[in-house]
Amino acid sequence: MHSKAYRLVILSLYVAMALILSYVESLIPLPLPIPGAKIGLPNIITLVSLLTLGWPLTLLVVIARILLSGFLFGGGFSIVYSLGGGLLSLLVMSLLLYFFKDRGSIILISVFGAISHNLGQVIVAAIVVQTTSLLLYFLFLMLLAIPTGLFIGITARELMRLLSKTTIFSKLNRP
Amino acid sequence: MKKNEFVIIIGLLAVSLIGIAAFYFFAATDKPLSVRVSRQGEVVAVFPLSEDHTETFTDTSGSNTLEISGGTAKIIEADCPDHICVKTHPISNPGETIVCLPHKLVVEVITGES
Repeated sequence: MHSKAYRLVILSLYVAMALILSYVESLIPLPLPIPGAKIGLPNIITLVSLLTLGWPLTLLVVIARILLSGFLFGGGFSIVYSLGGGLLSLLVMSLLLYFFKDRGSIILISVFGAISHNLGQVIVAAIVVQTTSLLLYFLFLMLLAIPTGLFIGITARELMRLLSKTTIFSKLNRP
Repeated sequence: MKKNEFVIIIGLLAVSLIGIAAFYFFAATDKPLSVRVSRQGEVVAVFPLSEDHTETFTDTSGSNTLEISGGTAKIIEADCPDHICVKTHPISNPGETIVCLPHKLVVEVITGES
């Protein structure tokens, strides 16, 4: 088995699945007074990708998903905010995974990833509109990110548990 | 869920809840409140929150219509693609904001008169 070609297939699958999930997510408006709040479904794929492909390839998955979903479903400006959130979230999750390795809990990594995603977006927004008064907004987003991050983390953990029983990941030459 | 996961999540919940509570506690005031509209950091207009008022803000990127009524401010109409500013809950406490990212418009409640 050519592991390079195999990795490319897995990588493409992740991008495709993340794209579908961000479309599904755009169809589910959260009935909350907090504008712009999302569940973060594509983060399931980001987490699985981080655990199976490592951060350099996951960076590709995240950037490809954000660019594609931005061009397909959102306006051009939404890409900038998604990138701010997506990249900060990936950085935080990669660092947590690096420092805690096997002892790290997928659920906690997911929750911190969700919070840092919001933080990244709020920082980009604050720079774009030149205001410092988005702290209260961020606190509300953080409060919401905890249950959604928990849900995404549990989903990703169960997905990993089930997929580990198959031979999908054993050919990736990674733990 | 393991015990340490549970503890950290409860801790994070507490941090955000205490943060929100502290924000409202320290922002609470008896002074008159105003609504400040700014675009890219530059103040466009300031209105007293106590007086009912409706005004449309237009520039090259588009327009937003602000309505102040009954001590709350909200955006009732906008021609941006996402309409997030229109969906935002009406604001009435100091520090609360409505942001229209596509038009770079910020509406916030501030302490003090115009």
